[in-house]
Amino acid sequence: MENQISVKAFGLVAEKIGMNDFQMDNPGNPARFKQQLFERFPELKPLKFTLAINKKLAAEQTEIPQGAEVALLPPFSGG
Amino acid sequence: MDKVRKPKNIFIEGAISPEKIAQSIANHSSKTEIGGHSIFLGQVRADQKENGAVIGIEYSAYAEMALEKAFEIREAIFEKYPLTCMHIYHSLGEVKTGELCLFVFTSSKHRKAAMDACEELVERIKAELPVWGKEILDSDEHVWKVNT
Repeated sequence: MENQISVKAFGLVAEKIGMNDFQMDNPGNPARFKQQLFERFPELKPLKFTLAINKKLAAEQTEIPQGAEVALLPPFSGG
Repeated sequence: MDKVRKPKNIFIEGAISPEKIAQSIANHSSKTEIGGHSIFLGQVRADQKENGAVIGIEYSAYAEMALEKAFEIREAIFEKYPLTCMHIYHSLGEVKTGELCLFVFTSSKHRKAAMDACEELVERIKAELPVWGKEILDSDEHVWKVNT
């Protein structure tokens, strides 16, 4: 069965990759996700950003559920 | 009956008007158990950057997550301090220098709770809400805002 995740990018990360969102096959966990992300967008390697899975900040060992929304969040700068 | 609080929208498109703030204060005149308000207003500053002067900030957010987080913070602050009221507004989109981009408003029976809660709210909003500010420069370039 197909297991795609939807990736959302914000701030400087979105600017660097030139997109606000895209789909990809679910890599299973954040470590593999980042590995695939950096293969596709090597320009993201020097950037500081965290991941949110389904709107919750994610630890490295978290599993990425089927059909999840994974967000790339550069350091927050509201206010 | 206990009031069940639900996530509410904190975002306002563009600058927050001084009239909105005045109206918001006026709206509390009927709540006569309140003895003190504390208000924080964030204003866009004309910083001088390497490639020009800041003329405005364009705010973007991961809105769904930000609203969930704002709700979580709101509940935690209500739990911690004896507050009567709490209001949070944050701009999205463009806000020019000198205009207001953040409005945090707490009210309580005695001043200390309102003042402490307001300060803690502002710190948590800036640190924990997925919101980003793009500082627009007079040279047409931009830099991504960094919170200190």
